[in-house]
Amino acid sequence: MPLRKDIKKVLMIGSGPIIIGQACEFDYSGSQACKALREEGYITILVNSNPATIMTDPGMADVTYIEPLSVEVLTRIIAKERPDAILPTLGGQTGLNLAFFLMKEGILKKYGVESIGASVEAISCAEDRHLFKKAMQEIGVDVPKSGIATTLEQGMKIGLNIGFPIILRPAYCLGGSGGATAYNKEELARFLSKGLETSPVHQVLVEQSVLGWKEIEFEVMRDSVDNVIMITSMENVDPMGVHTGDSIVVAPAQSLTAEEYTNFVNLSKRIIRRVGISGGGANIQFGQNPDNGHIVIIEVNPRLSRSSALASKATGFPIARVATKLAVGLTLPEVMNQITGKTTSFFEPTVDYCVFKICRFTFEKFPRAERLLNTSMKAVGEAMSIGRNFKEALQKGIRSIEIGRFGFGADGKDKITDEMLAAPDSGLLKMIKEKIRTPNDERLFYIRYGLKAGLSIDEIYALSHIDRWFIDNMQQLVELEEKIKKFRNKKPEDAIEIPAELLREAKKDGFSDRQLAYLLNSKEDKVREFSGKNDVKAVYKLVDTCAGEFQAKQPYFYSTYEGAEEARPSKNKKVMILGGGPNRIGQGIEFDYCCCHAAYALKEEGIDSIMVNCNPETVSTDYDTSDRLYFEPLTLEDILNIIALEKPMGVIVQFGGQTPLNLAVPLRKMGVELLGTSADSIDIAEDRKRFKQMLHKLELLQPDNGTAFTFQEAKEVAKKIGYPVLVRPSYVLGGRAMEIVYDEQTLEKFIKEAAEVSGEHPVLIDKFLEDAIEVDVDLIGDGSTFVIGGIMEHIEEAGIHSGDSAMALPTFTLSEDILNQIREASCKMARELNVLGLMNVQYAVKDNVVYVLEVNPRASRTVPLVSKVIGAPLAKLATKVMLGKKLKDLGFTQEIIPGHVAVKESVFPFSRFPGVDIILGPEMKSTGEVMGIDADFGRAYIKSQIAAGQKLPKKGGVFISVRDKDKRAIVFIAKKLQDLGFYIYATSGTASALEKNGISVKVLPKIAEGRPNILDYMRDGKVQMVINTPSGRIPRQDEVKIRSQVILYNIAYTTTIFGAQATVNGIEALAKKDLQVRSLQRYHKEISAQKHGKNKRKNK
Amino acid sequence: MKATLMLEDGKSFSAETVGFGGEKIGEVILNTAVVGYQEMMTDPANCGKILVLTYPLIGNYGCAPKFNESPRVWLAGLAIKEKSRIYSNWQAKESFDDFVKKHNLLAISGVDTRTLAVHLRQKGQMLGIISTHCFEAKELLSKISVFRKTKKESSLPQISVTKPRQLSKAKAKKIAILDLGITQSILRQLEILGLSVTLLPYNAPAEEILRLKADGLIISGGPEEDAGLKEVAANVKALVGKLPILGISCGHQVLAAALGAKIARMKLGHHGVNYPIHNPASYKGEITAQNHSCVVDIDSLNKIKQVKVTAYNLNDRSVEEMESKPLKLLGVQYIPACPGFNEANTVFKKFIKMLG
Repeated sequence: MPLRKDIKKVLMIGSGPIIIGQACEFDYSGSQACKALREEGYITILVNSNPATIMTDPGMADVTYIEPLSVEVLTRIIAKERPDAILPTLGGQTGLNLAFFLMKEGILKKYGVESIGASVEAISCAEDRHLFKKAMQEIGVDVPKSGIATTLEQGMKIGLNIGFPIILRPAYCLGGSGGATAYNKEELARFLSKGLETSPVHQVLVEQSVLGWKEIEFEVMRDSVDNVIMITSMENVDPMGVHTGDSIVVAPAQSLTAEEYTNFVNLSKRIIRRVGISGGGANIQFGQNPDNGHIVIIEVNPRLSRSSALASKATGFPIARVATKLAVGLTLPEVMNQITGKTTSFFEPTVDYCVFKICRFTFEKFPRAERLLNTSMKAVGEAMSIGRNFKEALQKGIRSIEIGRFGFGADGKDKITDEMLAAPDSGLLKMIKEKIRTPNDERLFYIRYGLKAGLSIDEIYALSHIDRWFIDNMQQLVELEEKIKKFRNKKPEDAIEIPAELLREAKKDGFSDRQLAYLLNSKEDKVREFSGKNDVKAVYKLVDTCAGEFQAKQPYFYSTYEGAEEARPSKNKKVMILGGGPNRIGQGIEFDYCCCHAAYALKEEGIDSIMVNCNPETVSTDYDTSDRLYFEPLTLEDILNIIALEKPMGVIVQFGGQTPLNLAVPLRKMGVELLGTSADSIDIAEDRKRFKQMLHKLELLQPDNGTAFTFQEAKEVAKKIGYPVLVRPSYVLGGRAMEIVYDEQTLEKFIKEAAEVSGEHPVLIDKFLEDAIEVDVDLIGDGSTFVIGGIMEHIEEAGIHSGDSAMALPTFTLSEDILNQIREASCKMARELNVLGLMNVQYAVKDNVVYVLEVNPRASRTVPLVSKVIGAPLAKLATKVMLGKKLKDLGFTQEIIPGHVAVKESVFPFSRFPGVDIILGPEMKSTGEVMGIDADFGRAYIKSQIAAGQKLPKKGGVFISVRDKDKRAIVFIAKKLQDLGFYIYATSGTASALEKNGISVKVLPKIAEGRPNILDYMRDGKVQMVINTPSGRIPRQDEVKIRSQVILYNIAYTTTIFGAQATVNGIEALAKKDLQVRSLQRYHKEISAQKHGKNKRKNK
Repeated sequence: MKATLMLEDGKSFSAETVGFGGEKIGEVILNTAVVGYQEMMTDPANCGKILVLTYPLIGNYGCAPKFNESPRVWLAGLAIKEKSRIYSNWQAKESFDDFVKKHNLLAISGVDTRTLAVHLRQKGQMLGIISTHCFEAKELLSKISVFRKTKKESSLPQISVTKPRQLSKAKAKKIAILDLGITQSILRQLEILGLSVTLLPYNAPAEEILRLKADGLIISGGPEEDAGLKEVAANVKALVGKLPILGISCGHQVLAAALGAKIARMKLGHHGVNYPIHNPASYKGEITAQNHSCVVDIDSLNKIKQVKVTAYNLNDRSVEEMESKPLKLLGVQYIPACPGFNEANTVFKKFIKMLG
């Protein structure tokens, strides 16, 4: 069918900030969609609140709005832009829900906007539990026994009828948020009320548990003439009971017979037809009883999903691109498959490899959270690996998630040693069994321990319900490990004696050099040398969608250890870009943005780009972002192998975050050419001693500090510089194990923890500057010219990790004198470090003195944001500088201070970790960020808060409880709130401070003192906002309870006095005038006009 | 046991045997499907072939009698990458190993099937030899060369029923099947449709077929380029216009040949479950399973009046479906596979309509 000509303008909604359950896979799908629409000549309008995305780059859509994703804002944009259609299926659950609400509220109808890709009926059918169940029964697809509850009583009745265990799924929730398994009456009641609360439509599905059943997924696409194709099947290694976003997943499914496979295909077709998707894709999840093959449908996502991103990367089939083309009327046979260049998209991909997806968790950031996996997703990122067999893919997958492990154990980092496992005592065995029975992030390793301790495959199956086929493969690795160990050296210096054939077998099954070095009692580099001598070398095979049947035009590569080399390197000039690996707290989409920009810049310079990354969610691992893509783990061994084949002229390590930066020195040692700032400069910035010397030389100040390897040393340093001190390990990102310590006792505990993370590097101890203002600077340098990209002022006081802080660009309280000091210091340091590319500096300003906190000679988290605010692509410019261009030639020689204000706010995963205290500190906890942009600070701030999901009240009650030193500042804030018509509640201490200043306050008792207290008031909906500032490290019991409830009821909250101030300013702005929207392209036009004006003045 | 697979052009691959040793020569064909190894091994259409499975992990779900397409394995040899040590599926009755041994199949694992597949794509399908006792290139190649020169006997006498066999006695429409290598999955669908089915030997003469007074004739799939197919085509020629005929895969080629069309060899053939076909007049198509190395020559088919091509392969434009309304003929190059559960492929429904 030809392209629809009745549509000219298409509106796309992005998925907003990165949160658990919704990560950069929607940047990937959205970017592909933008490209696909523009290829066909449509005008695209994009709305997303997340500034770190590629999709919000001004060149991606015709009109780009970085604005809060709310019905109100979207309505304004629709009224202004008047699109003909809205494409709601590419922005995750957020985008879909928003589009759905726009439909329900009649806004689409009012403005004549058609929903393409998924009709309102299709969305309702898939998302509304009741309609879905009915529809499935109609077409003969079994659903688990269930009922839908809108009240607690109703839910209890349904649940008790079904019998335990019972799964609860709130409707219209992403990533299974609010989902839970109840084993008894008490849990049922508790989870029901939570689920009803979480669901935006207050609806919970109460469902028979199919715990332990196989979980099978199919990715399906259908066009307007009813052509249906299966992209791939996927099998969850973790059976039902673990959210698929947390599960280990393989593609294709490994344990289905041909007959079962056909039956699943049949059901998938019936389902996609009945749901009514006719120009797009869907992800369908099934449960299957492993004992009799009985199939039930679990759910359908009528949109692009995390699984579809995985399916896309696993097969090479660009699902988002094709879905977009189908949405505007084309049929599958009309869309070409760009990987083969020969076949059309009406083709089912087939693979000749095994794909393995494994998740990255972040429990270490939330020590009070249980490390358990269930139906509510907890993973913050994932990695995908490809191997010729499951074993190889499994080991590469574990390497890829960068948890410090180098394969399926046997890397010298096992918690339980072989000796202990050889004769396990009953306690140990019991613990291992428990860890295998209850899903958790370390289960894989415990299965290995179990196998080594003599548990049989059947026993492990009985405990875990993980298919025996997977367990047997793990058993094979354990056996191979034993075979290798027979050739163990007495001393590490001894020559390696493993037979070449056994070595080859080990490499084919994915053993890393690190594992082999450990098993053979040798060194990683010696293993590498030995392998090379014996001609055991990695070769690269293709992801080509067709198992080799057609020659591929634009394939990507994975390594294995057999047969012919299929990746034939070109003779062109080429540069390798190291990506950031799996998303995690502290390292996510921002770095992927930079890597993509490096690839774009290389293209502009006529140089081939080679991307190395293993994160299937990203734009960087899209087949057309770079010239050549290697889907590989980011470890020294894997990267050296690619370098040996491709021989790039240089490697870019400063864009992928800490992962590649940590590889800089080892790569340099192996003789690899690094582009940009030298490895030595990187070392100066990271090595505290060398850094201190540099600051001393440049006459710059830093907070008093010292380093320590032991508690004794730490104690002395702390005594010398005085408490409070900031303790942290070196060479980490996201403030891992960083802590503000007020006394010796806590110091001891944290030195231990930090030393563990730090490894062979010392622990850093800094004087903590209380009440300082923190400042972030991004800078670009070409070795001779250094230009400030942006100076950002944090809204929260120093001590909160910069990744968690809200910050504003340009600054809003700093004097010109301080700003000049900061500019000067930044350029001085950049010159000293001979920065070629990007650099980020963090400062603290206290009593008008500027202290340097840290310098990162790499792209920072704020690069995409700054680039978008000032309208200059910093990462692209930096890439060109690294290739030898001068900033002068690139036309970027002056800091741009925009006339508008942008505020970045962070988004936190606290609701995923019940029982965790919601409090910010020097360890980063946010998963993502949003940006508010407007003419002034107040409005930009309020936009950032709305975008971050805060329900900012226009009226109602505010509860205030602040520590003593904040009592002066809170008076003005409370006064303003009262003037705005808010009612003030406070605890006695805070209340007396307010009352003294003529503010009327209702005093609430402390929780332990009596009721009704603040908890009751929140429950009754009397409190719309909470201002509560922390008091010391271990917050008092009351505060923990208050903060938990704040999350539960989604009440606006702020934990710093600065945040409170800005919130109140924002509420005031909101009260005066409604929010206006303006496109990024408009802002950029103003900047260039402003620049132009300046130049004109200069010329005069 | 160590084994080798050597291709006619001298390229060789080392391997291990799965069951017994031996030596077999045959045409090397690829199949890109991820599941269905037992079905492929027992499909008579693969008679005499050395089958290479491009999916690397084989045997995962074991084997069970219910998945047999015919009572025995017809392959000359099977080459796979990795054999599963255990099997894991509730339907499985025996392991892949046991199945291979029971059927005395020369199967080898540890083959670099990816390199082999890419090689065949570039060079085209060719003969190959699997051996566990000879590793001398020269000797192996000369054996292949002798094999190529030797005139091949038809395998149809082994594959086909030797005398008519009535399978069901429903009162519904009566279908005769010319058995060139009928598969269980096709028979099952006819059963679902409630048809009365009689299997006929491949060389049943036209008069005998007409005497049955069947409502329609199905020419089943089977081995292509078999020496016995000429005789079958001659018999079919005499039947054209006398009763509705459905040709499936190889049977479709026989039907086309009977009409006077030419059959051509393809470079790589179509072997897999992901082949798109579409009707030239619409955007609508189907994803089909296919297993053929020859194809009906389109130009020669176009010369035959009364026959129309109703579907093409979307990738290489080869003939996938032909139809003659006046002559009541239907031919499908693809395999009209069961779409899952107790459903029959639309091809059979279309044919039933043709029966009147």
